[in-house]
Formats: sequence, structure tokens, C-alpha cells
Amino acid sequence: MTGKKAEGVDRVVMRDIRKRYGMVDALRGVTLRVGPGEVIGLVGDNAAGKSTLMKVLAGAVVPDSGEIVFDGQTVSFATPRDARELGIEMVYQDLALCDDIDVAGNLFLGREPRKAGGLLLDIAQMHKDARRHLDALNIRIPLTDIPVGGLSGGQRQAVAIARAVTFGPKLLILDEPTAALAVAEVETVLELIKTVSAQGVSVILITHRLQDLFRVCDRLCVMYEGTLRADLDAKATSLERLVSEIVAHDQIENDRTGHDKTEGARR
Amino acid sequence: MTVTSERVVTTRAARANAHIGKHAQTIAIGVVLVVLLIFFAFSADRFATTGNLLNLMRQISPTLIVAIAMTFVISTSGIDLSVGSTVALSGSLLAIVLQHGWDPTLALIAILALGALIGFVNGWFSSYQNIPPFIVTLAMLSIMRGTALRATEGYSTPIDGELWIVQLGQGRVGGIPVPVILAVVIAAVGWLTLTRTPFGRYVIGLGSNGESLRRTGVNTRKVGLAVYVLTGLAAALAGVLIATRLSSGSSNAGSGFELEVITAVVLGGTSLFGGRGSMLGTILGALTLGVIANGLVLLHVSPFYVQIVQGAILLLAIFANSKVWARFGAVRK
Repeated sequence: MTGKKAEGVDRVVMRDIRKRYGMVDALRGVTLRVGPGEVIGLVGDNAAGKSTLMKVLAGAVVPDSGEIVFDGQTVSFATPRDARELGIEMVYQDLALCDDIDVAGNLFLGREPRKAGGLLLDIAQMHKDARRHLDALNIRIPLTDIPVGGLSGGQRQAVAIARAVTFGPKLLILDEPTAALAVAEVETVLELIKTVSAQGVSVILITHRLQDLFRVCDRLCVMYEGTLRADLDAKATSLERLVSEIVAHDQIENDRTGHDKTEGARR
Repeated sequence: MTVTSERVVTTRAARANAHIGKHAQTIAIGVVLVVLLIFFAFSADRFATTGNLLNLMRQISPTLIVAIAMTFVISTSGIDLSVGSTVALSGSLLAIVLQHGWDPTLALIAILALGALIGFVNGWFSSYQNIPPFIVTLAMLSIMRGTALRATEGYSTPIDGELWIVQLGQGRVGGIPVPVILAVVIAAVGWLTLTRTPFGRYVIGLGSNGESLRRTGVNTRKVGLAVYVLTGLAAALAGVLIATRLSSGSSNAGSGFELEVITAVVLGGTSLFGGRGSMLGTILGALTLGVIANGLVLLHVSPFYVQIVQGAILLLAIFANSKVWARFGAVRK
């Protein structure tokens, strides 16, 4: 496999994952492994199955068949909570914030600090912690008590990522985290990814911004029509090569090179 | 430096706007209520007396109690049309079982449990089976009204005035009618639950972005079911209060009740699209309806006008809701 971080136990291995929606084969047997602290770039054209695969890993979609091994244990997720309890956090493409709830409330949604024996929300504590977490991540949102619906796109994305990072995940999945961000905010997110992976957190990054991938990723996994088409070493791959894999340009001259390429669908 | 200060100014303005937007409808209905109170106090002789105001509050108590529960349902972007029929069924069955010699305490518990069960069925179909709650509760409206009519054969059933349970509708503690005390306590608990508990937070989250809430690991179906159990329970209690006040259980009780309840909730600024609920607004909304009904009767206006005025005010409130407050960013949908 690919070099430096492959030794030891894999953080997660997804084996032969399949998912069908009616007539559509969203996933046709995908195998993917991620090591501890590894940053994987998951790329592919629209409808290649990237988001569906990641939703399976985050417990939001239950696969028809296949196996997930997390830290050496075979696991199955019925709900996002199951995945989250193991330390898998996902930031979704469509933000997944509640517009009517304030910044602090969104940051802690589903695990609010409580008082009075768990009966009441500890709202003061929530705002204090939110301030601390946002500052620690260099996210500039002056007020934690305004509804998220009133924030800019970049601020909203920052809140969504902060929510995922705050609770010390082992595996962080980012689905198009930089798509709607200003340049400076993209830098913040990329720095954030480097910081968390240095702490041993595995990161899977889905993005269409290919230039971002080469800056933070260890490996690049290319999906095509529900299969894993290529598994590339980011350091040894050119942008041209990556693009041609994404568009499946070299289907015929498949075995042209590729010491760093595996046929991802089978193991 | 200018940039920094501008940024702060912008966000302070955003906060002010957000807070005005959040509370504008509550403030508006509060103003309407005060104007009506002043108007009736000067135009109707006996309006501003302690006796009349307590009577007004007692009359509106069942509506308020169910409206508190309905605020939760509507905040999840649901609706419960079956509450009026549940009022009729619970009042009728209470009178019938008491006539059969049931212990009043046991009867009360059984009726409340029945209300919760009706709510559970509503919630199961709408939350777990994803059938639109409008349809589910409309069907339940018909079923429960029919059951009440079948159980009573259309006749009213008297309740023995000697039983303690009659005090629920007719009693007073320290001069305050028992239904008013119950309504105040339930309103306080409802406010605390909606604004200060995880459950209340999830109710708002469910109406705002249910999928987002689900992804954070909250059991959204359970939350979506629980709110209908609340309205079922509240409607059963309202049925008991109405039946014991009149000393009679009638299958015709509570017709149009669901509309009055929903009007109170919407007047208070709770969004029918979910994600935005105001308990204080609901209380003010219910009181406004009560004041209109009571004041117009004292002015010897035909009671038939009451519904016309209430309907017109609802229409105005919705209009203001979607047009006027939108400039504060209060309404997105």
C-alpha cells in the first residue's frame, strides 16, 4: 500500500460497500482504507458516489451490504449517533445547521451542556464554551447568540466545521468544506485540517478544488460511477494524472503506468 | 481599523435585527391585547372588574392549555387538528364512566391516558410513518368525533355535582378559578420546556432543519411523536375542565376548538412552517381571543360577530407575519 502511514492498525477499512437506490447503483462495491492521522482526498465527478460513501461511514445511510472495520473492530451503524460515538464526525455539503438556532446552540446541537440533573440546558456555559472553541480554531464570529440564519456563508461553514472538530473526533469527514468560502477562509480550513491530522485525527476530504488536495492530502482516492477507480499517492501524482482519472480518460490504456495505482474495487 | 469597527457594528446591527425579528410578533400581539383591554375597559361597563377578568381567564383556560401544547407541535412544523374532537370524546367518556360509578380519580387518570394514547397514534403515523400530520389528525378528528357521538348517542351526560372532580371546572382556590391556576402552571412549565430544555431545543431544531438535527444523533422521530402526545394529553385535560365546568359531558363540545387553538398559537408569532415558536406569544394570543369574545358579548354585540372578528384578526396577523416583519429577517420561508 502507500508508504509511511500504512503500518499498524488502520483507523477504518470499508470493504465492498454496496448501496442501491431503486434503479440507481450508487455504490457498486467500494473498498477504502484510512490510516491514523492520514488525510485522504476523495474525488470524482458528480454522482460518482463520494457523498453516499461518506454518509455510509457517518451512519446517515445504511448500506445494502459490505463491512466497516473501525480500529480493528467490525462495526455497523444504524444511526449517525452510532458513528459519532466511535468518533466519526461529518461536515455535510448542505451545511446541516438549524437557521433558527443561535451559533452556540448549533455548535452544541445534540450534546448541549446541561444542569439541574440534565433537565435544563446550561445556556450560559454553552455560550462560554462556544466562545472558547471558536477562538481556539481562529474562527471570527463576534456573537454566539445570533441565529445562524443571519450569518454569511463562510461563517456558517466555519460553525459547521467547528461543531465537528470541537468534540475530538478520530475521523473527520469534510464534504466540500471550502466550496462557498472566501480565499482567507479556505486557508483557515486547510490549516485546520493540517492541525487536526497532526494530532492523529484521520481526515477524509471531499472537494472539487483539486489545488487544495495537493496541499493537505497524503492519498487521493478517485471514485467513478460507484466504484473506487484509483488510489494515488498525493506526493507522486500530477494534477493532469488526477484529472484524467476523474474523467476516466484512460480507460483503454489503463495499465499504462501505475505503480501507485490499485484497482480499488477488489481486495 | 475602520474595517474592524464596521464589522462589529454590522454584527451588532445583525443581533439587534435578529432579536427584534424574533420578538416582533410577540410584541405586536402584546400591543393589540393592551389596545383591546383599554378599548373594552372604557366602552363596556363591567369589563374591567376582577370578577369579569377572572371569568374571562377561566373561559380561555382550556384553549390556552391546548395552545401551549400546540405551540410545540407547530414549532416542529406539524399541526394537530384532532384536539377539538379529543375534547368532546374525553368530556363525554368522563361523564359516562362517572355515571357508571367509576372512582373520579381513576376516571381522570384513564381519560388523560386516553388523550395521550390518541396523541401517540397521531404522532406514530406522522413522525414514524411520514404521513402528513394534517391528514393524520384530520382523520383522527373525524374518528374521535364519531366515537364521542356513538358513545353518547348524541345526548349530554350529566356529571354529579357532589363528586370532587367537579371542582376542577368550578372550584376556586383563594378566589382564583382552578382552570386558571392549572393554565398558569402549564404555561410556565411549557415556557421553561420550550426555551430552557434539550427537548424544547430539539423541537425548534426539528422544525428548523430536521435532517440536520437527525445527523447530530438526536432521535428526531421520538421528538416528533412526543409533541402529539402533549397535545393529546392537553386536549383530554381541556375536555375534563369543560365537562366539569358545565357538569355535563357532551359529544358536541369543542367544535371549532382546534381552530381557536391554532389561531391563538399563530397570533402569538409561532411560524406554521416550524422552527420558530413563542410561548409568551401563545399566551398573549389566547388572551386576545378571550378578550375579544368576552368584550364583544359585554357590548351586546351579536355573538356571531365574535368569530368574524377573530378570523379577521388572524388574517391580519398572518399578513403582518409574512409582509411586515420580513424586513427584520424574521421570516424566511
